[in-house]
Amino acid sequence: MSRSIDANIQKMIEASPIASWLGFSASHFGEQNIYRLAFDEKHIGNPAIRALHGGAIATFLEVAAQCELVGGLDTGASIKTINADINYLASSRAQAMEGSATITRLGRRIAFVEATGWQQSADRPVAKGMFRFRIGTDN
Amino acid sequence: MTETPPAISPTISVMLKKARDWLTHEHSLFKSLNLEPVLIGKGRATFAVDLPADFSNADGLIHGGLMTIIMDSIFGLAVFTALEELKPIATINLRSDYLADTRAGARVLCTSKCIEIRGDVAYVSGDIKTQTDNTLLAIGSGTFMVGTRGPTKGSRL
Repeated sequence: MSRSIDANIQKMIEASPIASWLGFSASHFGEQNIYRLAFDEKHIGNPAIRALHGGAIATFLEVAAQCELVGGLDTGASIKTINADINYLASSRAQAMEGSATITRLGRRIAFVEATGWQQSADRPVAKGMFRFRIGTDN
Repeated sequence: MTETPPAISPTISVMLKKARDWLTHEHSLFKSLNLEPVLIGKGRATFAVDLPADFSNADGLIHGGLMTIIMDSIFGLAVFTALEELKPIATINLRSDYLADTRAGARVLCTSKCIEIRGDVAYVSGDIKTQTDNTLLAIGSGTFMVGTRGPTKGSRL
């Protein structure tokens, strides 16, 4: 059942040019946030095979991870990505992508968030990313 | 003193010239990044790249994802320059560390080196620095599959 997304997540999406470039949106199903990368020609990496650019997929996963973390934090805490590690598990198609993210560990200063993206079905992921974030207003 | 890399295979050189013209003038994503080759050699690719405002966060700082977009692209080119004949490639994994923030509008240099190709796996590393003051923004390392199934499947070009 679809519910409205966390207000802090929605605010971040609406204020972010990179989310706009991705055509990024979020919705809430059951107990899980589902994130979406809209298909656009500018997301294509290889026109010969009409695959999404690996960097566009990575950016989608990073924004999804950021959203998940923002939804899990107290309002006002800033976050900054320390690093990103992306595994490309399968070829992508010239289509929209959906994704979900899980906070693996939320510490006082560091958070670990894993994000997964898929196109055909959630049990056939196209890519997975592990992201580490610095949390705090003075980072 | 700048090290001069060995020459690229003639076959790969012709492909890269054609690809460069097409990517910089026709390809939607790469056209917006205003890619300009600075150094191309065997296993080496350095490009100057714009950081457009479209890729920024709400605070006006460039989103780290753009660093990954740039490194995935230029690292892939470094792999192509190291090949003796044209083969499709695909990114297996890419690790990006974000060291410093920068604002939209900056122009940066992405320097990449294909360290080794062992069997059908290429190992690449590189970094991104601002062109004006050489500030290190990101470092990355990745692996690429060389010779993926099918004529072009998985290729990043």
